[in-house]
Amino acid sequence: MFERMKIAAADNLKLPKDVVLGEVLISFVGRTSVIVENYRGILIYDDQTVKLQARNCKLQFHGKRLHIEYYNHDEMKISGFIQSMEFGD
Amino acid sequence: MMETGVIGLKDTLKHYFQGYLRIRLKGFSPERFLNLCMAKQIVIWDLKYQDDSYQFLISIRDYRRVKPLVRKAQVRLRILGRYGLPFFLYRNRKRKLYAAGIASFFLVLLVMSQFIWDITIEGNYQFTDDTLLHYLDTQDIRYGRPKIGIDCDQLEESIRSDYPEIIWVSARISGTRLMIKVKENEVMSNIPQKDSLPRDLVAEKSGTITRMIIRRGKSQIHIGDSVEEGTLLVRGAIPIYNDSEELVREQPVRADADIYAITAESYQEKVPFLTLKRTETGRKRHGFRLRLGGLSFLWMLPALGENPWEITSRSCQVTVLGDFYLPVWVDQILAKEYQTCEHFLTEEELNIEKDKIHQKKIENLSQKGVQILQNSVKICKEDSGWIIQGDFLLEERIGTGKEGEQITE
Repeated sequence: MFERMKIAAADNLKLPKDVVLGEVLISFVGRTSVIVENYRGILIYDDQTVKLQARNCKLQFHGKRLHIEYYNHDEMKISGFIQSMEFGD
Repeated sequence: MMETGVIGLKDTLKHYFQGYLRIRLKGFSPERFLNLCMAKQIVIWDLKYQDDSYQFLISIRDYRRVKPLVRKAQVRLRILGRYGLPFFLYRNRKRKLYAAGIASFFLVLLVMSQFIWDITIEGNYQFTDDTLLHYLDTQDIRYGRPKIGIDCDQLEESIRSDYPEIIWVSARISGTRLMIKVKENEVMSNIPQKDSLPRDLVAEKSGTITRMIIRRGKSQIHIGDSVEEGTLLVRGAIPIYNDSEELVREQPVRADADIYAITAESYQEKVPFLTLKRTETGRKRHGFRLRLGGLSFLWMLPALGENPWEITSRSCQVTVLGDFYLPVWVDQILAKEYQTCEHFLTEEELNIEKDKIHQKKIENLSQKGVQILQNSVKICKEDSGWIIQGDFLLEERIGTGKEGEQITE
């Protein structure tokens, strides 16, 4: 109930949802690097897959030679050859 | 060797000075270990998956904090490499001369920074750099002089007082460079004395008068008259008549007028049949010259063959961090071999030469403020070579003063 109210308030007041609701923010630079903000943790990592836990969903990046340039509790930068990205529950 | 892969230069330097490790991570739950590090705010970067294991970089300080997390995540860590200043110093702890070399480098740099190694002067048009550098030399300010003891305020004052045409001076020392900016007085410092001696105006050239403005004197010509060189145009005497219109006397004045006439001008320029052409053979030599104060070292292969070489060099003074000039110059030398051969001018080359000569004449006339009404150019052949002949029809001022003895009718 409280969550719905927050979503409605963010919609009506046109506030950025990544700030208000903590939604994941993904910024691609071509297909060679991606910056993920507001993620919660690393679920799986190898050179072909990076699976991350966000607040409401899971993110999965597929590619080749994937490596994590840096990560901290705010953001993570993944580089390599990114082939796809999918959301999961 | 220093590994990169961090967020920015600031972090790179921070990690280098603190020291960091490359670690191989293996075990039951590596992802859990990574998440635990994140939760404990342990910074890990350049994380790679390689050969069924993970490799990452971590600072020494953070590495000391990961031991409880290793037990919790049931992983094993192995150090693959040690990088950064603490490890560099540890590895080179016995190399005394190495350390002495680095220390002496900074010492030399510090000592050298106490002298002036470059003097720049800006804004001078009337006085050349050489003139001002020579003046500075008389003030005991020259290359290689210690910075200490140079009073910029006093220098500004002395330049202003010794050069009255310089109305503003700014002198400052930046690094090992003395920068002097000057502003010269663009207005003439003394007004030229107006000449009031009586004179006539005579024609400087032959031509046909097109227009005239007489300011002082008595005109002796009319518009449309043809005049020869030396013809009296304006007489520097005003007749004074009495009431019965008899000439009483003539008042001598300084004749002043703008008299324009159409004049003809021509020129001839000789161009020889044969011309020297320089062709590069394609052989090049590169070299360097290092100049340390009065010493000079040249690295360049010797010239082979009998052909002449054209040598150009580009000189640059060694600087550290912008304005920190050192008394070291590096010249980059390029030598190109060439041959000279005589050949007859082709029609195309002759036309180019003709246009060049004619264009130069037009520019010269335009600079004089002469209006060109017509111009033509042609090429004639003579025994000794080509003759470029040009003709101009101009409109120009032809009046010139004839002082001293006045021309009278």
